[in-house]
Amino acid sequence: MTFLQRTLPLAIAMVAGLLGILTFYIPVWEEFETRSAIWFRIVFAFAMILGIHSLLHMHWTRIRRNQAGWAYSAVTVGAFAVTLLFAIYNSGAGPFAVQNLESGGLGWIYDHIQVPAGATMFSLLAFFIASAAFRTFRARSPEAAILLVAAICVMLGRVPIGAAISPYLPELSQWLMDTPNMAARRGILIGVSLGAIATALRIIFGIERSWLGEDRR
Amino acid sequence: MINRLQTLDRRVIYAVIFVGVALALLIDFKFPISATPNVRAVYQGVETLDKGQTILISFDFGPSTVTELGPMARAILHHCFSKELRVIAVTLLPEGQGITQSILEEVATEYDAKYGEDFVFLGYKAGNEAVILNMGQDLRRAFDKDVRGNSLATMAATRSITSLRDIPYIIDLTSGYPGVEEWIQFGQERYGFKLAAGVTAVMAPDAFPFLQSGQLEGLLGGLAGAAEYEHLIGREGQAVSGMRPQSVGHVIIIGFILFGNLAYFLGRSRT
Repeated sequence: MTFLQRTLPLAIAMVAGLLGILTFYIPVWEEFETRSAIWFRIVFAFAMILGIHSLLHMHWTRIRRNQAGWAYSAVTVGAFAVTLLFAIYNSGAGPFAVQNLESGGLGWIYDHIQVPAGATMFSLLAFFIASAAFRTFRARSPEAAILLVAAICVMLGRVPIGAAISPYLPELSQWLMDTPNMAARRGILIGVSLGAIATALRIIFGIERSWLGEDRR
Repeated sequence: MINRLQTLDRRVIYAVIFVGVALALLIDFKFPISATPNVRAVYQGVETLDKGQTILISFDFGPSTVTELGPMARAILHHCFSKELRVIAVTLLPEGQGITQSILEEVATEYDAKYGEDFVFLGYKAGNEAVILNMGQDLRRAFDKDVRGNSLATMAATRSITSLRDIPYIIDLTSGYPGVEEWIQFGQERYGFKLAAGVTAVMAPDAFPFLQSGQLEGLLGGLAGAAEYEHLIGREGQAVSGMRPQSVGHVIIIGFILFGNLAYFLGRSRT
Protein backbone atom coordinates (compact mmCIF):
# COMPACT_ATOMS: atom_id res chain seq x y z
CA MET A 1 0.00 0.00 0.00
CA THR A 2 2.87 2.37 0.77
CA PHE A 3 4.06 1.91 -2.80
CA LEU A 4 0.68 2.95 -4.26
CA GLN A 5 -0.02 5.68 -1.74
CA ARG A 6 3.40 7.24 -1.53
CA THR A 7 6.20 5.94 -3.74
CA LEU A 8 4.27 5.81 -7.02
CA PRO A 9 2.71 9.32 -6.74
CA LEU A 10 6.11 10.73 -5.76
CA ALA A 11 7.74 9.04 -8.76
CA ILE A 12 5.03 10.31 -11.12
CA ALA A 13 5.39 13.85 -9.74
CA MET A 14 9.17 13.70 -10.12
CA VAL A 15 9.11 12.37 -13.70
CA ALA A 16 6.33 14.77 -14.79
CA GLY A 17 8.05 17.74 -13.14
CA LEU A 18 11.46 16.99 -14.64
CA LEU A 19 9.99 16.38 -18.09
CA GLY A 20 8.12 19.68 -17.82
CA ILE A 21 11.38 21.52 -17.12
CA LEU A 22 13.45 19.64 -19.71
CA THR A 23 10.96 20.06 -22.58
CA PHE A 24 11.02 23.80 -21.98
CA TYR A 25 14.80 23.97 -22.52
CA ILE A 26 15.26 21.22 -25.14
CA PRO A 27 13.51 22.29 -28.38
CA VAL A 28 13.77 18.84 -30.04
CA TRP A 29 11.32 17.57 -27.43
CA GLU A 30 8.62 19.91 -28.70
CA GLU A 31 6.48 17.02 -29.92
CA PHE A 32 6.51 15.55 -26.43
CA GLU A 33 5.62 18.95 -25.01
CA THR A 34 2.62 19.18 -27.38
CA ARG A 35 1.50 15.73 -26.33
CA SER A 36 1.93 16.42 -22.62
CA ALA A 37 -0.03 19.66 -22.96
CA ILE A 38 -2.88 17.64 -24.51
CA TRP A 39 -2.67 15.14 -21.62
CA PHE A 40 -2.77 18.06 -19.21
CA ARG A 41 -5.97 19.32 -20.88
CA ILE A 42 -7.55 15.87 -20.57
CA VAL A 43 -6.60 15.68 -16.89
CA PHE A 44 -7.96 19.22 -16.45
CA ALA A 45 -11.31 18.16 -17.95
CA PHE A 46 -11.48 15.22 -15.54
CA ALA A 47 -10.65 17.56 -12.67
CA MET A 48 -13.83 19.44 -13.60
CA ILE A 49 -15.83 16.22 -13.14
CA LEU A 50 -14.16 15.78 -9.76
CA GLY A 51 -15.09 19.36 -8.87
CA ILE A 52 -18.72 18.76 -9.84
CA HIS A 53 -18.80 15.60 -7.70
CA SER A 54 -17.29 17.47 -4.76
CA LEU A 55 -19.78 20.35 -5.09
CA LEU A 56 -22.82 18.08 -5.32
CA HIS A 57 -21.62 15.80 -2.53
CA MET A 58 -21.10 18.72 -0.15
CA HIS A 59 -24.47 20.32 -0.85
CA TRP A 60 -26.37 17.02 -0.88
CA THR A 61 -24.93 16.16 2.56
CA ARG A 62 -26.01 19.57 3.85
CA ILE A 63 -29.56 19.05 2.57
CA ARG A 64 -29.79 15.49 3.97
CA ARG A 65 -28.64 16.59 7.41
CA ASN A 66 -30.87 19.69 7.43
CA GLN A 67 -27.86 21.84 8.30
CA ALA A 68 -28.12 25.63 8.54
CA GLY A 69 -28.50 27.15 5.08
CA TRP A 70 -29.67 23.86 3.52
CA ALA A 71 -32.15 25.78 1.37
CA TYR A 72 -29.26 27.55 -0.43
CA SER A 73 -27.73 24.14 -1.08
CA ALA A 74 -31.05 22.98 -2.52
CA VAL A 75 -31.05 25.98 -4.87
CA THR A 76 -27.48 25.13 -5.95
CA VAL A 77 -28.32 21.48 -6.64
CA GLY A 78 -31.58 22.44 -8.37
CA ALA A 79 -29.88 25.07 -10.55
CA PHE A 80 -27.15 22.60 -11.46
CA ALA A 81 -29.71 19.91 -12.44
CA VAL A 82 -31.84 22.30 -14.54
CA THR A 83 -28.79 23.76 -16.35
CA LEU A 84 -27.43 20.27 -17.01
CA LEU A 85 -30.77 19.10 -18.41
CA PHE A 86 -30.95 22.05 -20.80
CA ALA A 87 -27.33 21.43 -21.85
CA ILE A 88 -28.09 17.75 -22.56
CA TYR A 89 -31.33 18.60 -24.40
CA ASN A 90 -29.43 21.30 -26.38
CA SER A 91 -32.56 22.64 -28.12
CA GLY A 92 -33.40 19.13 -29.31
CA ALA A 93 -29.99 18.48 -30.90
CA GLY A 94 -28.69 16.28 -28.09
CA PRO A 95 -25.58 16.45 -25.91
CA PHE A 96 -23.05 15.53 -28.61
CA ALA A 97 -24.03 18.26 -31.08
CA VAL A 98 -22.41 21.73 -31.00
CA GLN A 99 -23.84 23.48 -27.95
CA ASN A 100 -26.44 26.09 -28.89
CA LEU A 101 -25.95 29.18 -26.73
CA GLU A 102 -27.77 31.64 -28.97
CA SER A 103 -31.26 30.32 -28.28
CA GLY A 104 -32.90 27.62 -26.21
CA GLY A 105 -32.99 27.02 -22.47
CA LEU A 106 -29.25 27.08 -21.83
CA GLY A 107 -28.85 30.37 -23.70
CA TRP A 108 -31.78 31.82 -21.78
CA ILE A 109 -30.33 30.76 -18.41
CA TYR A 110 -26.98 32.24 -19.42
CA ASP A 111 -28.35 35.57 -20.71
CA HIS A 112 -31.09 36.12 -18.14
CA ILE A 113 -29.70 34.59 -14.96
CA GLN A 114 -25.93 34.12 -15.05
CA VAL A 115 -25.00 37.39 -16.77
CA PRO A 116 -27.24 39.71 -14.64
CA ALA A 117 -26.44 37.81 -11.43
CA GLY A 118 -22.70 38.04 -12.09
CA ALA A 119 -22.89 41.73 -12.98
CA THR A 120 -25.00 42.42 -9.87
CA MET A 121 -22.45 40.75 -7.60
CA PHE A 122 -19.66 42.81 -9.15
CA SER A 123 -21.58 46.09 -8.95
CA LEU A 124 -22.25 45.56 -5.22
CA LEU A 125 -18.51 46.09 -4.75
CA ALA A 126 -18.98 49.86 -5.06
CA PHE A 127 -21.15 49.87 -1.92
CA PHE A 128 -18.83 47.64 0.10
CA ILE A 129 -15.71 49.53 -0.98
CA ALA A 130 -17.29 52.87 0.00
CA SER A 131 -18.26 51.54 3.42
CA ALA A 132 -14.90 49.80 4.01
CA ALA A 133 -12.92 52.86 2.84
CA PHE A 134 -14.87 55.12 5.21
CA ARG A 135 -14.23 52.83 8.18
CA THR A 136 -10.62 51.81 7.64
CA PHE A 137 -8.85 54.40 5.49
CA ARG A 138 -7.58 56.63 8.30
CA ALA A 139 -4.32 58.60 8.40
CA ARG A 140 -3.25 57.05 11.70
CA SER A 141 0.48 57.20 10.87
CA PRO A 142 2.70 59.04 8.32
CA GLU A 143 2.80 55.85 6.15
CA ALA A 144 -0.99 55.61 6.19
CA ALA A 145 -1.21 59.31 5.27
CA ILE A 146 1.08 58.80 2.25
CA LEU A 147 -1.02 55.81 1.16
CA LEU A 148 -4.18 57.86 1.60
CA VAL A 149 -2.93 60.76 -0.53
CA ALA A 150 -1.62 58.37 -3.23
CA ALA A 151 -4.95 56.51 -3.30
CA ILE A 152 -6.93 59.72 -3.68
CA CYS A 153 -4.65 60.90 -6.51
CA VAL A 154 -4.99 57.58 -8.36
CA MET A 155 -8.75 57.42 -7.81
CA LEU A 156 -9.21 60.89 -9.24
CA GLY A 157 -6.53 60.56 -11.93
CA ARG A 158 -7.98 57.35 -13.37
CA VAL A 159 -11.36 58.89 -14.19
CA PRO A 160 -12.07 61.89 -16.45
CA ILE A 161 -13.22 64.07 -13.55
CA GLY A 162 -9.57 64.12 -12.41
CA ALA A 163 -8.47 65.84 -15.61
CA ALA A 164 -11.38 68.27 -15.22
CA ILE A 165 -10.16 69.20 -11.72
CA SER A 166 -6.51 69.52 -12.70
CA PRO A 167 -4.56 68.43 -15.81
CA TYR A 168 -1.74 67.32 -13.50
CA LEU A 169 -3.84 64.70 -11.70
CA PRO A 170 -3.81 62.09 -14.53
CA GLU A 171 -0.06 62.64 -14.97
CA LEU A 172 0.56 62.21 -11.24
CA SER A 173 -1.63 59.12 -11.22
CA GLN A 174 0.27 57.68 -14.19
CA TRP A 175 3.60 58.38 -12.46
CA LEU A 176 2.40 56.68 -9.29
CA MET A 177 1.39 53.62 -11.33
CA ASP A 178 4.53 53.63 -13.49
CA THR A 179 7.12 54.16 -10.79
CA PRO A 180 6.36 53.30 -7.14
CA ASN A 181 3.60 50.82 -8.04
CA MET A 182 5.71 49.10 -10.67
CA ALA A 183 8.73 48.83 -8.37
CA ALA A 184 6.60 47.23 -5.66
CA ARG A 185 4.84 44.91 -8.12
CA ARG A 186 8.12 43.82 -9.65
CA GLY A 187 9.51 43.01 -6.20
CA ILE A 188 6.40 40.98 -5.37
CA LEU A 189 6.52 39.22 -8.74
CA ILE A 190 10.18 38.24 -8.34
CA GLY A 191 9.50 37.02 -4.80
CA VAL A 192 6.46 34.99 -5.88
CA SER A 193 8.35 33.50 -8.83
CA LEU A 194 11.31 32.46 -6.68
CA GLY A 195 8.87 30.96 -4.17
CA ALA A 196 7.09 29.05 -6.95
CA ILE A 197 10.42 27.68 -8.25
CA ALA A 198 11.45 26.61 -4.74
CA THR A 199 8.06 24.95 -4.10
CA ALA A 200 8.16 23.19 -7.48
CA LEU A 201 11.65 21.81 -6.77
CA ARG A 202 10.56 20.67 -3.31
CA ILE A 203 7.61 18.79 -4.84
CA ILE A 204 9.71 17.32 -7.68
CA PHE A 205 12.33 15.98 -5.29
CA GLY A 206 9.76 14.73 -2.78
CA ILE A 207 10.71 17.12 0.03
CA GLU A 208 7.28 18.76 0.04
CA ARG A 209 4.69 16.00 0.51
CA SER A 210 1.67 17.85 1.88
CA TRP A 211 -0.09 17.31 -1.47
CA LEU A 212 -0.08 13.57 -0.68
CA GLY A 213 -2.05 14.25 2.47
CA GLU A 214 1.00 13.80 4.69
CA ASP A 215 1.67 16.19 7.55
CA ARG A 216 4.42 18.74 7.08
CA ARG A 217 7.52 17.89 9.05
CA MET B 1 -21.59 63.40 18.26
CA ILE B 2 -18.05 62.86 16.91
CA ASN B 3 -18.33 59.18 17.82
CA ARG B 4 -21.57 58.93 15.88
CA LEU B 5 -19.91 60.52 12.85
CA GLN B 6 -17.05 58.03 13.04
CA THR B 7 -19.43 55.08 13.17
CA LEU B 8 -21.80 56.34 10.52
CA ASP B 9 -24.45 53.77 9.62
CA ARG B 10 -23.39 51.93 6.49
CA ARG B 11 -26.92 52.25 5.11
CA VAL B 12 -26.33 56.02 4.85
CA ILE B 13 -23.17 55.35 2.81
CA TYR B 14 -25.04 52.88 0.58
CA ALA B 15 -27.88 55.38 0.06
CA VAL B 16 -25.50 58.21 -0.92
CA ILE B 17 -23.64 55.94 -3.37
CA PHE B 18 -26.94 54.72 -4.84
CA VAL B 19 -28.37 58.22 -5.32
CA GLY B 20 -25.09 59.61 -6.70
CA VAL B 21 -24.61 56.81 -9.23
CA ALA B 22 -28.30 56.80 -10.22
CA LEU B 23 -28.30 60.57 -10.84
CA ALA B 24 -25.09 60.32 -12.88
CA LEU B 25 -26.74 57.63 -15.00
CA LEU B 26 -29.92 59.66 -15.50
CA ILE B 27 -28.44 63.11 -16.11
CA ASP B 28 -26.48 63.48 -19.32
CA PHE B 29 -23.22 65.38 -18.90
CA LYS B 30 -19.75 64.84 -20.30
CA PHE B 31 -16.20 64.89 -19.07
CA PRO B 32 -13.32 65.49 -21.46
CA ILE B 33 -11.55 62.21 -22.18
CA SER B 34 -7.91 61.92 -23.21
CA ALA B 35 -6.12 58.68 -23.95
CA THR B 36 -3.21 57.55 -21.77
CA PRO B 37 -0.02 56.26 -23.48
CA ASN B 38 -0.82 52.63 -22.63
CA VAL B 39 -4.22 52.77 -24.33
CA ARG B 40 -2.79 54.72 -27.25
CA ALA B 41 -0.21 51.92 -27.71
CA VAL B 42 -2.97 49.30 -28.12
CA TYR B 43 -4.75 51.57 -30.61
CA GLN B 44 -1.52 52.07 -32.57
CA GLY B 45 -0.85 48.32 -32.54
CA VAL B 46 -4.20 47.62 -34.21
CA GLU B 47 -3.82 50.65 -36.46
CA THR B 48 -0.53 49.40 -37.92
CA LEU B 49 -2.14 46.15 -39.14
CA ASP B 50 -3.08 46.09 -42.81
CA LYS B 51 -6.44 45.18 -44.24
CA GLY B 52 -6.90 41.40 -44.28
CA GLN B 53 -4.33 40.71 -41.55
CA THR B 54 -5.36 38.53 -38.65
CA ILE B 55 -5.85 39.55 -35.04
CA LEU B 56 -6.65 37.09 -32.27
CA ILE B 57 -8.71 38.26 -29.30
CA SER B 58 -8.93 36.06 -26.24
CA PHE B 59 -12.10 36.76 -24.27
CA ASP B 60 -10.99 35.44 -20.88
CA PHE B 61 -13.76 36.92 -18.79
CA GLY B 62 -17.16 35.91 -17.55
CA PRO B 63 -20.48 37.56 -16.72
CA SER B 64 -19.25 39.08 -13.45
CA THR B 65 -16.84 41.45 -15.22
CA VAL B 66 -18.75 42.00 -18.45
CA THR B 67 -19.64 45.56 -17.40
CA GLU B 68 -15.96 46.50 -17.46
CA LEU B 69 -14.57 44.27 -20.19
CA GLY B 70 -17.61 44.12 -22.47
CA PRO B 71 -17.34 47.76 -23.65
CA MET B 72 -13.59 47.22 -24.10
CA ALA B 73 -14.23 44.19 -26.32
CA ARG B 74 -16.84 46.09 -28.35
CA ALA B 75 -14.53 49.07 -28.89
CA ILE B 76 -11.63 46.87 -30.05
CA LEU B 77 -13.91 44.86 -32.34
CA HIS B 78 -15.30 48.07 -33.88
CA HIS B 79 -11.74 49.14 -34.59
CA CYS B 80 -10.82 45.75 -36.09
CA PHE B 81 -13.91 45.43 -38.30
CA SER B 82 -13.67 49.04 -39.47
CA LYS B 83 -10.11 48.29 -40.61
CA GLU B 84 -11.33 45.06 -42.27
CA LEU B 85 -9.02 42.88 -40.20
CA ARG B 86 -9.74 39.20 -39.80
CA VAL B 87 -10.74 38.45 -36.23
CA ILE B 88 -10.19 35.11 -34.53
CA ALA B 89 -11.89 34.94 -31.13
CA VAL B 90 -11.25 32.38 -28.45
CA THR B 91 -12.08 31.98 -24.77
CA LEU B 92 -10.20 30.11 -22.06
CA LEU B 93 -13.11 30.33 -19.61
CA PRO B 94 -16.22 28.15 -19.93
CA GLU B 95 -18.49 31.02 -18.87
CA GLY B 96 -16.92 33.30 -21.48
CA GLN B 97 -18.43 31.52 -24.46
CA GLY B 98 -21.91 33.08 -24.41
CA ILE B 99 -20.59 36.61 -23.89
CA THR B 100 -18.00 36.28 -26.64
CA GLN B 101 -20.54 34.96 -29.08
CA SER B 102 -23.07 37.73 -28.45
CA ILE B 103 -20.53 40.61 -28.48
CA LEU B 104 -18.79 39.29 -31.59
CA GLU B 105 -21.98 38.86 -33.57
CA GLU B 106 -23.45 42.16 -32.38
CA VAL B 107 -20.46 44.14 -33.68
CA ALA B 108 -19.89 42.00 -36.80
CA THR B 109 -23.50 42.58 -37.91
CA GLU B 110 -22.90 46.35 -38.00
CA TYR B 111 -20.08 45.89 -40.52
CA ASP B 112 -21.70 43.08 -42.53
CA ALA B 113 -18.72 40.93 -41.60
CA LYS B 114 -19.12 37.34 -42.76
CA TYR B 115 -18.56 34.42 -40.43
CA GLY B 116 -15.71 32.25 -41.62
CA GLU B 117 -14.29 34.94 -43.88
CA ASP B 118 -13.97 38.01 -41.67
CA PHE B 119 -14.29 36.47 -38.23
CA VAL B 120 -14.27 33.12 -36.51
CA PHE B 121 -15.04 32.04 -32.97
CA LEU B 122 -13.06 29.01 -31.88
CA GLY B 123 -15.00 28.57 -28.64
CA TYR B 124 -13.75 27.20 -25.33
CA LYS B 125 -11.30 24.42 -24.62
CA ALA B 126 -10.39 23.22 -21.14
CA GLY B 127 -6.76 23.46 -20.07
CA ASN B 128 -5.96 27.14 -19.49
CA GLU B 129 -2.25 27.69 -20.26
CA ALA B 130 -1.98 24.27 -21.93
CA VAL B 131 -4.43 25.51 -24.58
CA ILE B 132 -2.18 28.52 -25.27
CA LEU B 133 0.82 26.20 -25.56
CA ASN B 134 -1.04 23.89 -27.95
CA MET B 135 -2.26 26.85 -30.04
CA GLY B 136 1.34 27.98 -30.37
CA GLN B 137 2.57 24.56 -31.44
CA ASP B 138 -0.31 23.65 -33.72
CA LEU B 139 -3.54 25.63 -33.75
CA ARG B 140 -5.48 22.84 -35.40
CA ARG B 141 -4.48 20.31 -32.76
CA ALA B 142 -5.79 22.68 -30.11
CA PHE B 143 -8.95 23.58 -32.05
CA ASP B 144 -9.72 21.32 -35.00
CA LYS B 145 -13.18 22.88 -35.35
CA ASP B 146 -14.73 26.22 -34.48
CA VAL B 147 -17.73 26.74 -32.21
CA ARG B 148 -20.13 26.00 -35.09
CA GLY B 149 -18.41 22.75 -35.99
CA ASN B 150 -16.60 24.04 -39.11
CA SER B 151 -13.10 22.78 -39.79
CA LEU B 152 -10.40 25.46 -39.40
CA ALA B 153 -8.76 24.25 -42.61
CA THR B 154 -11.85 25.11 -44.67
CA MET B 155 -12.54 28.69 -43.49
CA ALA B 156 -10.90 31.65 -45.21
CA ALA B 157 -10.14 33.38 -41.92
CA THR B 158 -8.18 30.45 -40.49
CA ARG B 159 -6.99 28.55 -43.59
CA SER B 160 -3.51 30.06 -43.57
CA ILE B 161 -3.11 30.11 -39.77
CA THR B 162 -1.40 27.04 -38.36
CA SER B 163 0.09 28.43 -35.18
CA LEU B 164 0.17 31.54 -33.01
CA ARG B 165 3.39 32.37 -34.88
CA ASP B 166 1.23 33.26 -37.91
CA ILE B 167 -0.78 35.84 -35.98
CA PRO B 168 0.84 39.28 -35.82
CA TYR B 169 -1.22 40.73 -32.99
CA ILE B 170 -3.03 39.22 -30.02
CA ILE B 171 -5.17 40.99 -27.44
CA ASP B 172 -6.09 39.29 -24.20
CA LEU B 173 -9.17 40.63 -22.42
CA THR B 174 -9.00 39.09 -19.00
CA SER B 175 -10.45 39.25 -15.52
CA GLY B 176 -7.86 37.02 -13.82
CA TYR B 177 -6.67 33.48 -14.44
CA PRO B 178 -5.96 32.47 -17.17
CA GLY B 179 -4.86 35.88 -18.30
CA VAL B 180 -1.96 38.18 -19.09
CA GLU B 181 0.75 36.18 -17.27
CA GLU B 182 -0.25 32.93 -18.98
CA TRP B 183 -0.39 34.56 -22.41
CA ILE B 184 3.11 35.99 -21.81
CA GLN B 185 4.68 32.83 -20.35
CA PHE B 186 3.19 30.27 -22.70
CA GLY B 187 2.48 32.42 -25.76
CA GLN B 188 4.24 35.72 -26.37
CA GLU B 189 7.66 34.69 -24.99
CA ARG B 190 7.73 31.47 -26.98
CA TYR B 191 6.04 32.37 -30.26
CA GLY B 192 7.05 36.01 -30.60
CA PHE B 193 3.77 37.70 -31.46
CA LYS B 194 2.85 41.20 -30.29
CA LEU B 195 0.61 41.11 -27.25
CA ALA B 196 -1.66 43.71 -25.68
CA ALA B 197 -4.14 43.32 -22.87
CA GLY B 198 -7.36 44.67 -21.48
CA VAL B 199 -7.90 43.99 -17.80
CA THR B 200 -10.24 45.01 -14.99
CA ALA B 201 -9.25 48.16 -13.09
CA VAL B 202 -8.16 46.23 -10.00
CA MET B 203 -5.87 44.04 -12.10
CA ALA B 204 -4.20 46.87 -14.01
CA PRO B 205 -1.41 47.59 -11.46
CA ASP B 206 -0.34 43.92 -11.68
CA ALA B 207 0.23 44.23 -15.43
CA PHE B 208 2.41 47.35 -15.34
CA PRO B 209 5.77 45.50 -14.99
CA PHE B 210 5.04 43.67 -18.26
CA LEU B 211 4.55 46.98 -20.03
CA GLN B 212 7.96 48.28 -19.05
CA SER B 213 9.62 44.97 -19.96
CA GLY B 214 8.07 45.23 -23.44
CA GLN B 215 6.22 41.93 -23.11
CA LEU B 216 2.97 43.87 -23.32
CA GLU B 217 2.62 46.45 -26.09
CA GLY B 218 -0.22 48.28 -24.44
CA LEU B 219 -2.81 48.02 -21.72
CA LEU B 220 -6.45 48.96 -21.25
CA GLY B 221 -7.32 49.20 -17.56
CA GLY B 222 -10.97 48.95 -16.56
CA LEU B 223 -13.88 50.95 -17.89
CA ALA B 224 -11.67 54.05 -18.06
CA GLY B 225 -9.36 52.23 -20.51
CA ALA B 226 -12.37 51.23 -22.60
CA ALA B 227 -13.63 54.84 -22.61
CA GLU B 228 -10.23 56.07 -23.79
CA TYR B 229 -10.26 53.48 -26.59
CA GLU B 230 -13.78 54.51 -27.61
CA HIS B 231 -12.56 58.10 -27.69
CA LEU B 232 -9.60 57.14 -29.92
CA ILE B 233 -11.75 55.29 -32.47
CA GLY B 234 -14.22 58.19 -32.44
CA ARG B 235 -17.13 56.08 -31.35
CA GLU B 236 -18.11 57.08 -27.83
CA GLY B 237 -20.54 54.57 -26.36
CA GLN B 238 -21.14 52.49 -23.26
CA ALA B 239 -17.74 53.06 -21.68
CA VAL B 240 -17.69 56.84 -22.14
CA SER B 241 -21.20 57.16 -20.67
CA GLY B 242 -20.08 54.81 -17.89
CA MET B 243 -17.45 57.39 -16.92
CA ARG B 244 -20.19 59.62 -15.43
CA PRO B 245 -21.33 57.21 -12.68
CA GLN B 246 -17.77 55.98 -12.16
CA SER B 247 -16.42 59.52 -11.70
CA VAL B 248 -19.24 60.39 -9.32
CA GLY B 249 -18.72 57.10 -7.44
CA HIS B 250 -15.01 57.86 -7.00
CA VAL B 251 -15.74 61.39 -5.78
CA ILE B 252 -18.29 60.10 -3.25
CA ILE B 253 -15.86 57.46 -1.94
CA ILE B 254 -13.13 60.11 -1.63
CA GLY B 255 -15.63 62.35 0.14
CA PHE B 256 -16.39 59.61 2.65
CA ILE B 257 -12.68 58.93 3.20
CA LEU B 258 -12.03 62.62 3.90
CA PHE B 259 -15.12 62.87 6.10
CA GLY B 260 -14.03 59.77 8.05
CA ASN B 261 -10.58 61.25 8.59
CA LEU B 262 -12.00 64.60 9.67
CA ALA B 263 -14.19 62.85 12.26
CA TYR B 264 -11.19 60.76 13.35
CA PHE B 265 -8.92 63.78 13.91
CA LEU B 266 -11.67 65.77 15.63
CA GLY B 267 -12.30 62.83 17.94
CA ARG B 268 -8.58 62.43 18.65
CA SER B 269 -8.05 66.13 19.45
CA ARG B 270 -10.92 66.00 21.95
CA THR B 271 -9.59 62.96 23.77
